Amino acid sequence: MKLIKILHMYADMLDLYGDSGNMEVIKYRCKMREIECVVDTYSIDSDMPDFSSYDLIYIGGGADLEQQHISEDLSKCREGIKKAYENGTFLFLICGGYQLMGKYYRDADGNEIKGLGLFDYYTVAPESRRMRCIGNIAVRTKITGKNVDVVGFENHGGQTHDVKTPFGEVRYGNGNCSKSQQEGYFEKNVIATYLHGPMLSKNPEISDYIISYCLNRNSSETIRLKKLDDSLEIKCRQVMLDRLLK
Amino acid sequence: MNRILILIGKIIVKLLRLVGRSAGNLPGIILWHLTRGQCCKMFKIDCPIIAVTGTNGKTSVTNCVAQLFKQSGKKIIINKEGNNLDTGICSLLLRHCDFSGKVKADMLILETDESHVPVVYSQQKLDTLVVLDFFRDQLDRNGEMETLIRKINAFCKTFNGNLLLNGDDPNTARLGKANPNNKNVKYFHAEPYAFATKEIFEASEGRFCPFCGQPLEYEYYQYSHIGKFLCKNCGFGNYDYYISAENIDLEKRVFYADNHKYTPKLNSIYNVYNMTAVAGVAKLYDIEQNITDKVISGYTVKNGRMENFMLGDRKTTLNLAKNPVGANMTLRVMNEMKGEKELLFVLNDNVADGLDVSWIWDINFSIFERVTRVVTSGTRAYDIAVRIKCSGYDASKIVVVPDLDNAVEELAKTEGRKFVIANYTAVQPTRTALKKYMSRSENK
Repeated sequence: MKLIKILHMYADMLDLYGDSGNMEVIKYRCKMREIECVVDTYSIDSDMPDFSSYDLIYIGGGADLEQQHISEDLSKCREGIKKAYENGTFLFLICGGYQLMGKYYRDADGNEIKGLGLFDYYTVAPESRRMRCIGNIAVRTKITGKNVDVVGFENHGGQTHDVKTPFGEVRYGNGNCSKSQQEGYFEKNVIATYLHGPMLSKNPEISDYIISYCLNRNSSETIRLKKLDDSLEIKCRQVMLDRLLK
Repeated sequence: MNRILILIGKIIVKLLRLVGRSAGNLPGIILWHLTRGQCCKMFKIDCPIIAVTGTNGKTSVTNCVAQLFKQSGKKIIINKEGNNLDTGICSLLLRHCDFSGKVKADMLILETDESHVPVVYSQQKLDTLVVLDFFRDQLDRNGEMETLIRKINAFCKTFNGNLLLNGDDPNTARLGKANPNNKNVKYFHAEPYAFATKEIFEASEGRFCPFCGQPLEYEYYQYSHIGKFLCKNCGFGNYDYYISAENIDLEKRVFYADNHKYTPKLNSIYNVYNMTAVAGVAKLYDIEQNITDKVISGYTVKNGRMENFMLGDRKTTLNLAKNPVGANMTLRVMNEMKGEKELLFVLNDNVADGLDVSWIWDINFSIFERVTRVVTSGTRAYDIAVRIKCSGYDASKIVVVPDLDNAVEELAKTEGRKFVIANYTAVQPTRTALKKYMSRSENK
C-alpha cells in the first residue's frame, strides 16, 4: 500500500477558520484511493521530530498572539525544516504559517517577529488593526499546468511583500497585499497562501497536486491518482465563483 | 352574485373544519378560480387596512402592529404567517365576514407578499402600506427583484394612502417618488449603530441610483446595502425622516426615537429597523405611548431552539446552531435518539452569520449514527455538503437543494424522524418554510 507521511505543526494553536479541515480533506482523498495517510502532530515542547522523514509539513494560521507565542519554538525547528524542504518535503502553509517562513513579520505595534527566512518575502501589518483584508477571494493559479480558479476566504492584517513566485493571480479579493494582483507563494514543493475555508475543501485540483507530489517524490515510476467524483466540490466552487465574478 | 360566492366560500370553510383541516388557503384558491382572480373584491370592508411587505421582517412587524391596536382595545383581524397571498387573505376574510360579505373589525393588519401587494390592493382600499426592505436572495435569479419593485411601484403611482418606507434602503425608498401627488409618503430611518461601516461589506443591490444611474454615495452602511445614502447627481435620498432611531446601543438593547427611549428584547440592527417601522405606524395612528412601549419591549421571536414541528406525521426538531458547539450538541441529541433519522442542514453566509463558514469544519460529523439521508440548503448548501462528505459520510446519501422551500419538500418526502439544523440568519426562514409546508399539507 502507498503511504504519505504528514507532520501537522501547531495544530492546537494555529487552527483559524477551519484550517485543520485541510488535513481532513487530504486524509479523505487518500482514503478514497487506498493510500495510507499518517498524520503526526508537533507542538510547543514536543520532542524534535525528524522533519525530513515527512512527505508533507503543514502549518495553519493563527491570531497575532499565537503567532508570537510559537515563533520562538519554531526557530528551534529551523534547521530541520530547512533540510526537509531542500530534500523535497512539501510545505503547505496557510496565513500565519505562510508569513513565518519569510524573513520577518512586523505586527501592528511594530514588534518584529523573526521568520525562518526560508523565502525572501516579508510581512508588515498596518498600524491600524481595523485595516484587514477580509472576505471571499478567487485566485487563478497555473500550478497544475492548467488554469484553475480556486476560492477561499482571506482574513489577514499582514501585507506580504517581495513575493517573486506567487501561487496565483487575484481575480476577486485582496491577496498578498490590500487590493493586490498576487496571492501566496509557490515553488514546486511549496504552497503558501492566505486562503482559509479550508482551502482544499473546494479546490480538489490543489489537494491532488499535493498528494500526487508526495506520492511521486521518491518513486521511480509516475503514480497516477485515481479520479474521484468531485461534483459537489466543483459545484460548491462554481456557486462562489459565479457570485464573485458575475 | 357576491352572496352566492360568499356562501360557497363559507361552506368550503365549514366543510374543511368538519374534516379537521384548517382553512388556510384552499377556500381562497377555489374562489380565485370562480372570480377569475378577483377573490378579494367581493368583501365589504369599512375599516382601515394596514399592509406590511418587504423581503425580511414582515411577520415581526405585522404582529407588532397588530398588538398596537389590539392593546388599544380595537377588534383586529390579522393573517397568519405564510397565508400572505391573495388566496390566503381571501380565506381569512371568508372566516370573518357575514353572508353579505361585510367584514366586521376595527382594523385589518395584513402581512402581504411583495408580489401580491398590487393584486390585493387593487381590489380593496388600502389605508397604509409599510415597506420594509428589498433584498435579493443570493439564490434568486437575476432581475427578479427589480421586476417585483417595478410592479409595486406601478401600484404606488395611483396610491394616495400612507406609504411608510425604509428610508435607508434605496430599493424601497424609490417607491416614495412613484406618485408625486401623494402627500402621505413617509420615511423611517436609523442613525449608525456601533458596527456601521464606511465601506460596503458585501456585494449587494442598490449601488446605483434607480433614477439617474449614477453611483449612490453612502455616509454609512448598517448592513448589506442598508444605510444613509445619497445620489449626488439627482438628489435621491434627500428627504426628511418621519421617524428616526437614534443612539442605538445594541449591547444595552436601547434606542431612541422622537426623544423617547425604547428597550427592545432582541439585540440586532434588523430588529431596530423593524421596531422603528412599528413606532412609525404607532405615530401615524396616535397610539398611546405606553402601549407602543409595551409592544416594542415585549416583542421576541421563537428562536428555533429545539423547536418541534410536524411535517405530516413526521416529527421534526429544529435547532439553531451559530457555532460548532451548538451543532455538535444537536448531533449528539440526534444520535441519542433511537431509530433512523434524516437531517436537513441550512447554512447561510449573510453578514449576521459572519461571511466565513469554515466553522462547519469544527463540527464532528463522524459521530453520525443511523442517519439515513442528509439534505443541505441555504446560500452555502454545497459547502456543508462537502463538509459532511469529507467526514466520511456516503456522498450518495447527500441531497443538495439550495432553495429552502424545495429542501423542506425534499426532507418531507420520506417517512421517519427529522432533524433540522440552521445557522443564525437561516433559522427564521427555515421556520417559515416548515410552517408553509405544514399549511400546504393541511390544505391538501
